Amino acid sequence: MTVLLEAHHVSKVYGSGLFKRETNLALDDFSMRIETEPASITAVVGESGSGKTTLARVLLGETGPTSGEIRFLGKDLTTLSRQERKAFRRDVQVIFQDPYEVYNPFYRVDHVLETPILKFGLATSKAQARDLMVEVLSAVGLRPEETLGRYPHQLSGGQRQRIMVARALLVRPRLIIADEPVSMVDASLRATILDSLRTLTREFGVSLIYITHDLITAYQISDNIVVLYRGSVAEAGAAEPIVQAPEHPYTQLLIGSIPQPDPDRMWSPEQEPSTIGRSATRISGCKFASRCPHAMEMCLEQHPPLYQTEPNRVAACYLYRDAPVLSVAPLDSVFVSPETTEAAAD
Amino acid sequence: MTDSRPTSQPGETILEVHDLHVYYYTSRGPAKAVNGVSFSLRPGETLGLVGESGSGKSTIALSLLRMIKPPGRIEQGQILLGGRDLLSLPEEAMRLVRLGEIAMVAQGAMNSLNPVMRIRDQIVDSWKDHKTGYDRTETEDRVADLLRWVGLRPEVARMYPHELSGGMKQRAVIAIAISLRPKVIIADEPTSALDVVVQRQIMTTLRRVQADLGAAVILIGHDMGLMAQSVDRLGVMYAGEIAELSPVRDLFKDPLHPYSKLLIASLPSIDHKGSLRGIPGLPPSLLTPLPGCPFHPRCPDAMSRCRVEMPLLELKRANRAVACHLYKDGEAARRQGGKGDKGNGDRSSSPPSRLAASPPESAP
Amino acid sequence: MATPVVQSESQTERGWLSRGFHALRDYPMLAAGLVLILAIVAMSVIGPLFVERDWVNVGYAMPDQKPSREYLLGTDTVGRQLLAIIIYGTPLTLKIGLIAGGIGLSVGMLFGLVSGYYGGIWDHVLRGAADAFLTIPGLLVLVVIATTLQGGISVTTQALVVSALAWMYPTRTIRSQVLSIRERSYVQLARFSGMNGFEIIVKEILPNLLPYLAASFVGAVSAGILASIGLEALGLGPQNEPTLGMTIYWSMYYTSILRNLWWWWAPPIVVIVIIFTGLFLISAGLDQVANPRLRNRI
Repeated sequence: MTVLLEAHHVSKVYGSGLFKRETNLALDDFSMRIETEPASITAVVGESGSGKTTLARVLLGETGPTSGEIRFLGKDLTTLSRQERKAFRRDVQVIFQDPYEVYNPFYRVDHVLETPILKFGLATSKAQARDLMVEVLSAVGLRPEETLGRYPHQLSGGQRQRIMVARALLVRPRLIIADEPVSMVDASLRATILDSLRTLTREFGVSLIYITHDLITAYQISDNIVVLYRGSVAEAGAAEPIVQAPEHPYTQLLIGSIPQPDPDRMWSPEQEPSTIGRSATRISGCKFASRCPHAMEMCLEQHPPLYQTEPNRVAACYLYRDAPVLSVAPLDSVFVSPETTEAAAD
Repeated sequence: MTDSRPTSQPGETILEVHDLHVYYYTSRGPAKAVNGVSFSLRPGETLGLVGESGSGKSTIALSLLRMIKPPGRIEQGQILLGGRDLLSLPEEAMRLVRLGEIAMVAQGAMNSLNPVMRIRDQIVDSWKDHKTGYDRTETEDRVADLLRWVGLRPEVARMYPHELSGGMKQRAVIAIAISLRPKVIIADEPTSALDVVVQRQIMTTLRRVQADLGAAVILIGHDMGLMAQSVDRLGVMYAGEIAELSPVRDLFKDPLHPYSKLLIASLPSIDHKGSLRGIPGLPPSLLTPLPGCPFHPRCPDAMSRCRVEMPLLELKRANRAVACHLYKDGEAARRQGGKGDKGNGDRSSSPPSRLAASPPESAP
Repeated sequence: MATPVVQSESQTERGWLSRGFHALRDYPMLAAGLVLILAIVAMSVIGPLFVERDWVNVGYAMPDQKPSREYLLGTDTVGRQLLAIIIYGTPLTLKIGLIAGGIGLSVGMLFGLVSGYYGGIWDHVLRGAADAFLTIPGLLVLVVIATTLQGGISVTTQALVVSALAWMYPTRTIRSQVLSIRERSYVQLARFSGMNGFEIIVKEILPNLLPYLAASFVGAVSAGILASIGLEALGLGPQNEPTLGMTIYWSMYYTSILRNLWWWWAPPIVVIVIIFTGLFLISAGLDQVANPRLRNRI
């Protein structure tokens, strides 16, 4: 059981300045581990301001945590040598949200495939490189003769994003962090792209951290889900129970607000925050208290810890204070392993 | 080829669009963004237009307000608002129609609020072309009422956009849109940048003000789930044309057009894990449209006829119009399918002489 | 306003030269500017075939002659033919501009790229230097330098003097462009593809800077020519060379205006106006290339 990438009590604060500027605690004491195997899909779900983008940046090493560490194969990211850093880039890849911005308009789309082949030494000759590109493009359902040699503006958003998945396949990382990979892609192509990501995991053994605001697609492809609210984990665990029987009031609100494509299943009635909840300040206590229909006195005093309500789930809510607290262990200790979900799905 | 006779009794529809064509002229030729769209809107109802990027839905919104700028141009068609053809109005008259009779809540509208003007000033500024005749006190009262109407505290009037959250900004935009009590509100992706919780609140507010005004709403977007929750009738757009137009329940329970079927099937469900199916193939080219049905390259049910002959939007079942060769002609088939969407199924009022005059089988 | 998604056909593989010509049709200002400058260059290249070099020197012709068939642009008070002066002097001025442009761009690129991409201490030092130099009154410094170097400075030296103050604007322009491009997703992706800083600068950022580099170059050329003409008109230029600025100086020295020897001071001015108009049009045209919203056509 080797740990590939680990977030160890990571917190990130933005905006501390000389003068008393408003500081923003984007991520609050987050701990999670991704193992090298088995390959799993973990979704991190949250709205804007939840901290999910910050988490992505911190995991990818784009920005350093204010406190805590990100460890790659046991070593702190900030202490990696040049060689180790290259190995990190090889093993941990990214798929960005915007399929337009991610291509340099000066080059044809081949460029995004040729660059990693060159830098990571994936082929020894031009012919071999070409074969490799054809192979991965076909694997994601694209026709090489229609994609290679084109400029980015000549392809649709869906095609461009699929080329990004092909690129990830090319590098054969051990972990892909996908930050809202389909939110800017048309609905009819979303399923195809998500399916190819799922294939990457099941067939090629690449783990995936799927960051999104869309709880439904998160449910469809992930083994485990982490729900973030304003920098803290609201709920986490196996995907099925979280979506079918959400425990945290925020998750319940989230699921209830999703517009179902069925005119007979209207939005569930909106619940008003409780009287106590309405008097909550932003300084202390549970971050969700001001919107929570179940807020109690204790919710205003201190932010709730993660209660382990079942072997495979935790919820940060005093409603479950009778359950044991998951004190120091990282989130993944409540995750299910993919074999279990394989059997349950389809 | 354009039928200029209104297809329903006056007083029944508030807005009618007949055979609208809007092209964008590029250096490579015209891109046919809207290629023959017809529909009608009754007072108080909510019509949805759903489609993916390039389907033409946003272009329709701009056309209704006659805000298509070069290189785009409204090639042909009629837009009848209460019987008047908006496309033949002089510009001064059209200015009064915008906001006064038809208002728009646009995509990303919250980002088009002027960052250096207070909300109150922006509302008042939008009335410039419309002589409201309010004096100072009346104006302030009116602004306060409007803000309360959309669920904002009156203090918001003195605030600047950057002091408001995304949802509050969108409410302010809605306040501007309804300020002169329009008969038709066009909402083009009004919630696309908002999270689901705020989205629901905004849609609830929109529905409430719509009911208060008795106005009709055209909701444009790409989110089928949102459409299911919000509209009475839904039009599915593909390649600048309406593929199917039906009451919303009928569409979801029993989609007729192959594109609608595939689109609905590709929606991920929250009830159980399943296979993820997309729609294979590529989006259509608006520059070089293929002959025949624009969907035929990706259609699992395509016939040889589909490759040559463009299917017209016609009433094939009760209240349901679809543009597809799979379906036999219904009793009240007609050339331009705007008639096919009367909610009460009043087929008897459609003169059968149309059939004799223009057989629907012939190519346009 | 949303424009429809268009599925383009693959671009036909014309040579880049032919594509360049066709692209010029879309940018009339750029084309016009290039025509003007090319005309000046053509004059400098073809002219010497018809005009003797000696005619530039003192005493080879009758002094103070009006333009006639023998002396097409007349002569000045010391017997130099204006036609020859224009033909042989213009390339000197252009040369000064090119050197100033070249140095300004090179230094500007180096400083701007390093300071913009790496930030930190590099940014503080390089940008600080550029900002500091910008506040110095340029002409004053050049006058001091030129006076110190008194006595027959060559055109090249003149060019170097003028170049000393040509690098600051390019540095700032390029730096701000690099700052904006650095944040683009494709640069981040390049990092994930294993590229290091230098490779990213050269392969990812530089190609997207081409219009700005061209504009900075043109700007530096203009500034260089202007500064050199300014110095020369004060008499602080290469005294023995028939540059445009020196011609103006001499024409004032010999009170040509009072004596109505219009053919002496007018031709250099006309040539200068053509050069600057051409450079301005090129610069405005490049603006249109870099910023599609400024274009008039689709």
